Amino acid sequence: MEADDEGRSPSGSVVVDLASADDPRAMSRMLRQQRVHTIEGMFHLLTRREDVEAALRKPAVYTSRPEAVQLGNIRPLIPLSVDPPKHVKYRRILDPLFAPKHMAALEDEVVTLVNQIVDRFAAKGSCDFHEDFAVPLPCTVFLRLMGLPLADLDMFLEMKDGIIRPPGATQEEQEPTRRRTAQNIYAYFEKTLAERRRAPTDDLLAQIMGSSVDGVQLTDEEILDICFLFIIAGLDTVTDSLDCIFGYLSQEPEHRRQLASDESVIPSAIEELLRWESPVPAVPRVLSEDVEVGGCPMKAGEHVMLLIGAANTDDAAHPGVDSVDLLRNPNPHLAFGGGVHRCLGSHLARIELRVAVREWHKRIPEYELVPGTVLQYTEGLRSLHHLPLTFAPAG
Amino acid sequence: MRITLDVDRCQGHGRCYVLAPDLFDADDFGHCVLLVDDVPAGREDDARTGVENCPEQALGLE
Ligand code: HEM
Ligand code: SF4
Repeated sequence: MEADDEGRSPSGSVVVDLASADDPRAMSRMLRQQRVHTIEGMFHLLTRREDVEAALRKPAVYTSRPEAVQLGNIRPLIPLSVDPPKHVKYRRILDPLFAPKHMAALEDEVVTLVNQIVDRFAAKGSCDFHEDFAVPLPCTVFLRLMGLPLADLDMFLEMKDGIIRPPGATQEEQEPTRRRTAQNIYAYFEKTLAERRRAPTDDLLAQIMGSSVDGVQLTDEEILDICFLFIIAGLDTVTDSLDCIFGYLSQEPEHRRQLASDESVIPSAIEELLRWESPVPAVPRVLSEDVEVGGCPMKAGEHVMLLIGAANTDDAAHPGVDSVDLLRNPNPHLAFGGGVHRCLGSHLARIELRVAVREWHKRIPEYELVPGTVLQYTEGLRSLHHLPLTFAPAG
Repeated sequence: MRITLDVDRCQGHGRCYVLAPDLFDADDFGHCVLLVDDVPAGREDDARTGVENCPEQALGLE
């Protein structure tokens, strides 16, 4: 493999580093100098918009078979680890439940939840945005959506972290926590399903239990595998995005004022900051056949990381994407992935982010980082360890 | 000016119908439905916005 212009070669930790870098854009720029990087014995990286997009569109070649993501689950994650044609069946059931029109009904409830969370620290004039806001919000929304008791919040956070951020430096060290947590998740939802069969409810979980395709209902195992994925895909990602957005705004007062003074900027500002930060920096695939990209041979069975973050700032594909423009148009970013696995929860996530940014800035339009703070981003998925903010005490 | 939609490419990102709701709509699955074939006079910019924000290149203008 060729070295980059600073004489370093990307190491196996490059994807992890892309999330935690102070400036992932600079790293992405360096990576894009080469269409493909090969990290021997681990995976290939596709770095450019054109190649990432082409790969997302070829799920039969760039597959999502179960070995692409191993997170302690004993069966494939549905629909993430399922390829077409079976994947289509699951998305036909799930897409309507997560469609924008359906999700829009949640908006009022999210407004209430956001304001309740802000109530807890507004008068104090300070908070750790990560701990106090970005972590509880998505989990609370999810519990409400699924009709689960709010008292289960802490347990859910533990389950999510046990899978996504288990203690330990290596896969091997992390494995026991992942496996134990996975068993707890399966057990929790098995118990919940049994309860729901006895006493039916009217919520997202009930809709999933009651849905069918071509007259065939989902089995209990399939429902468990969907719920398992929701915990992994739907909680941390929104926390990451909130941290990224507020971390950015706390350091860029002009952009903050632009959206605080004009609500109509918020939807496009969110698309732009999702593009810029790309909280999910990469999506994994496994090759079903030998292919060649840019003269680099890749073999069937090998793993490929599609760097959607690097694709999102590829100025060769879209001139001008190397800076932030809250009113960018067009902005066809890939922060929610692309192709058949396009994020199922993207419309829910957008409502959460939009309402959070709007309601927060109505009450706390001016805030800043606690002086002396050095922001540290997490590995793998880009969130912040802490985001200490100060502001004038608000009502 | 006509809008074209490649239904096999559309993955329901919803950028088009959020940005130009009187030209594009969503079906029950959140995938795009064209509300017009021919772009009405004066609406060319909105049509272009919808088309160019699609991450899947599922929409076109001709
Ligand atoms: C801003 C927050 C979010 C971001 C950035 C995000 C990002 C992504 C990305 C990049 C993928 C594609 C994975 C791949 O191609 O392998 C994905 C898939 C998925 N996401 Fe999200 N996500 C977010 C929020 C959510 C939420 C709130 C849910 C709620 C349930 C969710 C559920 C899913 C599911 C189920 C999939 C798998 C879809 C499939 O394989 O067909 N996500 N997400
Ligand atoms: S933006 Fe593109 S992918 Fe999304 S709904 Fe519209 S046509 Fe479909």
